Amino acid sequence: MIEFANVTKEYDNQTALKDISFSVGKGEMVFITGPSGSGKTTLLKLIYVADKPDTGNISVAGWDTDQIKESSIPFLRRNIGIVFQDFRLLANKNAFENVAIALRIRGVGEKEVKTRVYESLKTVNLRHKSDSFPKSLSGGEQQRVVIARAIVSEPTVLLADEPSGNLDPDTAEGIMRTFKDINAKGTTVLIATHNRELYRNSGRRVIKLNSGILIGEEIG
Amino acid sequence: MSLPYPFKIGVQSLFREKWINLLSILTIAAGLLIIGISVFVLYNLDIATKKLPEKFSMMLYFNDGIQKEKIDHIIVSLKRNSAVNSVRYIPREEALRELKATLKNSNYIFEGLEENPLPDSLEIRLEKEAVGPEAVKKLADEALKLKGVSDVDYGEKFLSTIHYLKVGMKAVGIVLIAILSTGIIFVCYSTIKILFYRKTEEIETFKLLGATRWFIRAPFLIEGAIIGASGGFLSLIGIFTFYYIVVMRLSVAIPIFKTVLFPADLFLPLPVMGMFLGITGAFIALGRLRY
Ligand SMILES: Nc1ncnc2c1ncn2[C@@H]1O[C@H](COP(=O)(O)OP(=O)(O)O)[C@@H](O)[C@H]1O
Ligand SMILES: [Mg+2]
Repeated sequence: MIEFANVTKEYDNQTALKDISFSVGKGEMVFITGPSGSGKTTLLKLIYVADKPDTGNISVAGWDTDQIKESSIPFLRRNIGIVFQDFRLLANKNAFENVAIALRIRGVGEKEVKTRVYESLKTVNLRHKSDSFPKSLSGGEQQRVVIARAIVSEPTVLLADEPSGNLDPDTAEGIMRTFKDINAKGTTVLIATHNRELYRNSGRRVIKLNSGILIGEEIG
Repeated sequence: MSLPYPFKIGVQSLFREKWINLLSILTIAAGLLIIGISVFVLYNLDIATKKLPEKFSMMLYFNDGIQKEKIDHIIVSLKRNSAVNSVRYIPREEALRELKATLKNSNYIFEGLEENPLPDSLEIRLEKEAVGPEAVKKLADEALKLKGVSDVDYGEKFLSTIHYLKVGMKAVGIVLIAILSTGIIFVCYSTIKILFYRKTEEIETFKLLGATRWFIRAPFLIEGAIIGASGGFLSLIGIFTFYYIVVMRLSVAIPIFKTVLFPADLFLPLPVMGMFLGITGAFIALGRLRY
């Protein structure tokens, strides 16, 4: 589903990723871990083509990100649900509208948008906050709206960047349960986190980064 | 609401950013109003000057004592000229009769006049299309070279003044319309550019979620189209107001304004023109969207 082959990425002579190779199979749930600045966010960005690698190859859901035409990028991204580290919620839209966006850009009809958005908000226990705007939601609630938006389109790949953020352990656990449920339905899940609580005793693959270098892999 | 989503965003933005949009609608309306009035003036100028050539004729005077066969010969050759519509022979007796008829209240002028001072002449009416200053001058020069012709008279100055006035006004009109159209496109360009920058964050998010270029562009193009069309519509109201208030009032005081024509049909495309200019401006403003 996701394959990195000798991927290197530099920003202004600073190496963010160096010669990274790994692959994630369909239906897997894998963690990327490492201290702050180790290249986790960069790695995810290369997957959804917000950036391109300097050298090496990346393939995602059958697309070669090096060969992809700019006009095809939206269609690659439609296979991917993203939980951004900085949320990227639209401040002038309520929770319902923020989640609905993901379906509307895909041209889904209004009726179907309604049922699917409410269903997705229910999954993250925010059905009752559909009319709330981001600024009146807590950090954990905002995080869950972002997750609802990422899963509402039933993507084949789900990427989550620091999904526990500064959340309290209970909220973080709830979020992890949602990811496991999604994964159980067949979605490939890739979670970047510096928080070892998230993958401890998970029995999942954990890929370790340090200063842009893949230093090893273990089972959590 | 069953409107397609991009349409909805476009209309929403129209109201959300109402002041900047209203400002550009008014600017566009002013530009299109000036275009409309230019068309109105040019149209009437064209109609007015089209009527002139019909009345236009050239007079050709013969030397005294010219033989009638020679005159007939010249008439035949003139009629062969494609610029000539008709030729009327006016013998000097008839010319005098006509003159006397015209001046019948001042008959004293002719008292003591023993001999007819007028020459034989031809009145040449010209084809409408041929009445450009060059064509008429060419014909006059040719006629002057003919044996027995003493003089050729035509409104040389008048004709070329009218002609160049017409050409000049048309050129000025076209340049004015081109400049104003460019200006209107620029107004739409700036407006959409500003709105686009205000939404940079939102657009970036749309892109990351998998929106195509057209999904992102459509609301702005729709907004540009609505701004342009609204401006056009306002200018339409403006030009009708201009006609009914300014021109109609003037025609009461100044009779020549009664002959002014108001080609209402000619102005109906103004909203469409506005819409087209609006879309063009918006399209340029969006440029090449990068992913
Ligand atoms: N857009 C960028 N411009 C310059 N440097 C960047 C950019 N993005 C990341 N970096 C650098 O690349 C390295 C890896 O960053 P990042 O992928 O954000 O790490 P992490 O998500 O693991 O904290 C850091 O040293 C960071 O400063
Ligand atoms: Mg990061």
